[in-house]
Amino acid sequence: MKPFQYATALSPAGARELAGEDGAYLAGGNDLLALMKEYLVEPRILVNIKSLPGLNRVKPGAKVWTLGAGVTVAELEDHEGVKKVFPGLQQAAAEVGSRQIRNVATLGGNLAQHSRCWYYRHRDILCLKRGGDTCYARHGENKYHSLFTGNTCISPVVSNLSVALTALEATVLVQRGDEQKRMTLKELYARAWDNPTAHNSLEPGDLILAVEIPVRGGSSAYLQASEKSAFDWALVSCAVAGRVKGGTITGARIVLGAVSPMPYEAAAANDSLEGKSLDAETAARAADLVLARAHAQAQNGYKIPIARALIQRSLLQLKAQS
Amino acid sequence: MPGWPEKRVYIGSHTRRIDAPAKVTGAAKYTSDVQPEGWLYGMILRSKWAKAKITKIDLDKALKLPGIKAAVLAREGERTVRYYGEELAAVAGSTKQACLDALRAIEVEATELPFVVREDEAMGDSAPRVWEDSPNAAAPHVNEKGEVDKAFAECATVVEGSFSTPVQIHHPLETHGNTVSWADDGITCWASTQGITSVAEGLADNLNVPQSRIRVLSEFMGGGFGSKFGPGVEGGLAARLSRQAKAPVKLMLTRFDQSLAVGNRPSSFQKIKLGATADGILRAFELESYGTAGIGAGGSTAGGGGGAGFPAPYIYTVPNIRVKQSSVAVNAGSARAFRAPGHPPASFGMESIMDDLAVKLGMDPVEIRLKNDPSEVRRKEYRLAAERFGWKEKYKTPGSSPGPVKTGVGCAGATWGGGGRGTQAEAQINPDGSIEIRCGTQDLGTGTKTLIALIGADMLGLKPEQILVRIGDTRYPPSGGSGGSTTAASVSPAIHNVCTRALEELQKQTGIADARGENWMAACKKLGLNPLVVHGAWQEGLSSSGAGGVQFAEVEVDTDTGFVKVRKITCVQDGGLIVSQLTAESQVHGGILMGIGYALYEERIMDRQTGFVLNPNFETYKLAGLADAPEIDLVLLDMPERGVIGIGEPVTIPTAGAIANAVANAIGVRVGSLPITPQKVLAALGKDKLTTA
Ligand SMILES: Cc1cc2nc3c(=O)[nH]c(=O)nc-3n(C[C@H](O)[C@H](O)[C@H](O)COP(=O)(O)OP(=O)(O)OC[C@H]3O[C@@H](n4cnc5c(N)ncnc54)[C@H](O)[C@@H]3O)c2cc1C
Ligand code: SF4
Repeated sequence: MKPFQYATALSPAGARELAGEDGAYLAGGNDLLALMKEYLVEPRILVNIKSLPGLNRVKPGAKVWTLGAGVTVAELEDHEGVKKVFPGLQQAAAEVGSRQIRNVATLGGNLAQHSRCWYYRHRDILCLKRGGDTCYARHGENKYHSLFTGNTCISPVVSNLSVALTALEATVLVQRGDEQKRMTLKELYARAWDNPTAHNSLEPGDLILAVEIPVRGGSSAYLQASEKSAFDWALVSCAVAGRVKGGTITGARIVLGAVSPMPYEAAAANDSLEGKSLDAETAARAADLVLARAHAQAQNGYKIPIARALIQRSLLQLKAQS
Repeated sequence: MPGWPEKRVYIGSHTRRIDAPAKVTGAAKYTSDVQPEGWLYGMILRSKWAKAKITKIDLDKALKLPGIKAAVLAREGERTVRYYGEELAAVAGSTKQACLDALRAIEVEATELPFVVREDEAMGDSAPRVWEDSPNAAAPHVNEKGEVDKAFAECATVVEGSFSTPVQIHHPLETHGNTVSWADDGITCWASTQGITSVAEGLADNLNVPQSRIRVLSEFMGGGFGSKFGPGVEGGLAARLSRQAKAPVKLMLTRFDQSLAVGNRPSSFQKIKLGATADGILRAFELESYGTAGIGAGGSTAGGGGGAGFPAPYIYTVPNIRVKQSSVAVNAGSARAFRAPGHPPASFGMESIMDDLAVKLGMDPVEIRLKNDPSEVRRKEYRLAAERFGWKEKYKTPGSSPGPVKTGVGCAGATWGGGGRGTQAEAQINPDGSIEIRCGTQDLGTGTKTLIALIGADMLGLKPEQILVRIGDTRYPPSGGSGGSTTAASVSPAIHNVCTRALEELQKQTGIADARGENWMAACKKLGLNPLVVHGAWQEGLSSSGAGGVQFAEVEVDTDTGFVKVRKITCVQDGGLIVSQLTAESQVHGGILMGIGYALYEERIMDRQTGFVLNPNFETYKLAGLADAPEIDLVLLDMPERGVIGIGEPVTIPTAGAIANAVANAIGVRVGSLPITPQKVLAALGKDKLTTA
């Protein structure tokens, strides 16, 4: 690890100032410290943001819930209100890593975490994402990689929370310069879709303050498939949200994780369900529409049937929950 | 002939480990906990190339860094490295960070050379050679018996199949490593090892120092599974660093290192053909296989040392067989003995084809095993296990379970030699009644210390906690390495013997006819001033070898997501006289969990572009966790008349075969490749048309 400075920020403005262009915000440290130990990132200064006022609060509201960026994943998992109002988010939180990781991992860090591609994470491999000139995964071991991408890099977004939050139509409140900016989840990851070196659309110094989730009535659900029973990354994850009344769904959102550099959605699939009776058949048709543009690599075609199954199951779960 | 006591209070009891409190409180000091005065960190610089000619390594810059006290080369002069992770040099320094910085300051001049890391590619004639003067694929070992072609022609049924098993990494929770102190009066080495004596021998040889001046200590140890016998390159480097720095050096490998250079189980690619009569009697068997033991293919590391061969047709006797096995070298770390070397791949392939045969014949898989298994013990075990498991009710036509989540059952058998001899031990009885038993064995976490205390207690009519057990020191009477499930069978008779002789001597010296139990204190008091020290050794007749076991598995397979969940394992295992029931059961649990890992999760993944191991961590090298553990129903057949037999290895052998058979039974098609991942299940079901690899 390269020598670095360490400071604790007491206000967002102070945090930004301390971090400058080449510092890093330290939240739970799960990802950041691992990256530093492998010399993958070398920040000049670590700015501890855990003492920022209000950052670790869950604030319920009639129209909007505000989740501070410093709220831990375990807090989201355990929060009775979240469980009731946004069950999909609670389920996504409960599947993150292990309980020990969830106790420390924060919402902001979870959203801003780097790619888990095993080429990117290897200390002696310089792939495209790290400024090299090749995507090794394309010609190598890609069973965990993407089915969709807008660029050469096929490393998928792996944040469970990003998938659930996309389905919930959340916005991310970001301190950029002197401004506070609201970004949709799609905007938060848009750059990773286009640009192989990006993990998300945050600029150096951008600080996530909170995530805001609108209360839309309805319900939500999240399912993931992994290789192991617990403490394992999703091969594919799926979050759905919508209002189901008398078996009919409106405002459906279907979002896939671990298959694209950003949480993946197909408007046609969402639209196909509008006002329809939610059953095995409509769910299957929606799944086909989500996956219509899937492009498998040599080793990850199996993610397609998994995604199809998860879409159908989570839609039916949504119906059962409603 | 000596015998085990008829009346056994502690032997075979559920007495807990004598060192459990020390372990759970952290009082137990492992090699990585040892902190001799003035100790330094040691770290290794490893090759960043899968193959390269190393022309120069410059340590000067590293040596000048603050905190760095020593730096040595793994080998002098020009050399060729043959895998990513091979040792180049090592440094010692006062902090971890100083060492990390120093490793980055070492300048290495290297010319990259072509390499090959995949078995199938390495077999090709035009593949880069791992060793310049010999082809990658060694000449196959051939074993032919009877008239194979004729026998196949006469068989009523013939089945064929292809099976493969991955390279599995040992990954004991305590990594490899040593703390070495090289002082004027000799070398002290705290080692995480399965053989303190073999570490002493290895160091003596490596450092050219008389073995009498080397002391190796290993009181607590966090597992080795066959990969921790000698001092390793890391042990020699730690010693040389210590000599140069004039301070003790602790050099423990990281998990990353562990994935590269300290052993693995060879892979296997098996093509099997099996023929039988209409009523299921095996008549002909043919196997062609290859696998890799890393750079160490061929003769030098064959057999228990980790060649890619394995016993075939495993536990069955078939009159006509043709077996052709070869090892192929690739640019990756060498294999080492790994918990039942050769047996898990052998069991997986053979037991899979047995089930395919049963299905083709329309026979019950247990039935076909009862007809063909030559071992009476195992046939008994099959019957007992089937009964407990509810096999008759659970076994259904393959693939007939309704709904998307299908259940299935399967079984498999195993054999293992075990046995063991050669241990010596010493007992010291003090006039105050305290007793110490000393034995130069080591406790890998299997419970050897507890076993010694339980035997001592029963032999002397005492309680286990009255016996101070001292092990893990080359100054104690020698025992062997702990491998091949031999420790219990090698140590137990020596403890029996030393206790018998100590008791005899105590009785003789004190005139007390029976000094055991309540007479113990009075007898000891009569010893006067000097303690009584008695030597003992392994004796014939108290232990034996040859253990058989069977396992039954019940699984659930989600045919939409390919996810496999093991619901239940029933294990019936023969282990002779069980000395310590709890630690023996613990071995079974660990063996089954490791077997589940082998069946479903574990696999070293090599990148063919760089030659690197892509999953050098527990995030992507996946081990079974508690959530993956099934219900385990286990029976240890009690056969005290056979004496002590080790069971650490046989219990991990049949798990993968049983699970694979259960998966095939659930989904109606065979997944012939371990680990059985969702990807492979979906491919077998034909739902994965897009996947080509
Ligand atoms: C073994 C393992 C398994 C895991 N499994 C899963 C899983 O299954 N699913 C899943 O979703 N995740 C998983 N994770 C990832 C884990 O959830 C993230 O590493 C964690 O959430 C990061 O949060 P943190 O607070 O520790 O972030 P840190 O490590 O402190 O920060 C991560 C990154 O985000 C930046 N950052 C942090 N907070 C902010 C902020 N407020 N504004 C802007 N930037 C910020 C940091 O500068 C850094 O670049 C796993 C991690 C590990 C180690
Ligand atoms: S997928 Fe992306 S991160 Fe992985 S090797 Fe390719 S460019 Fe690098």
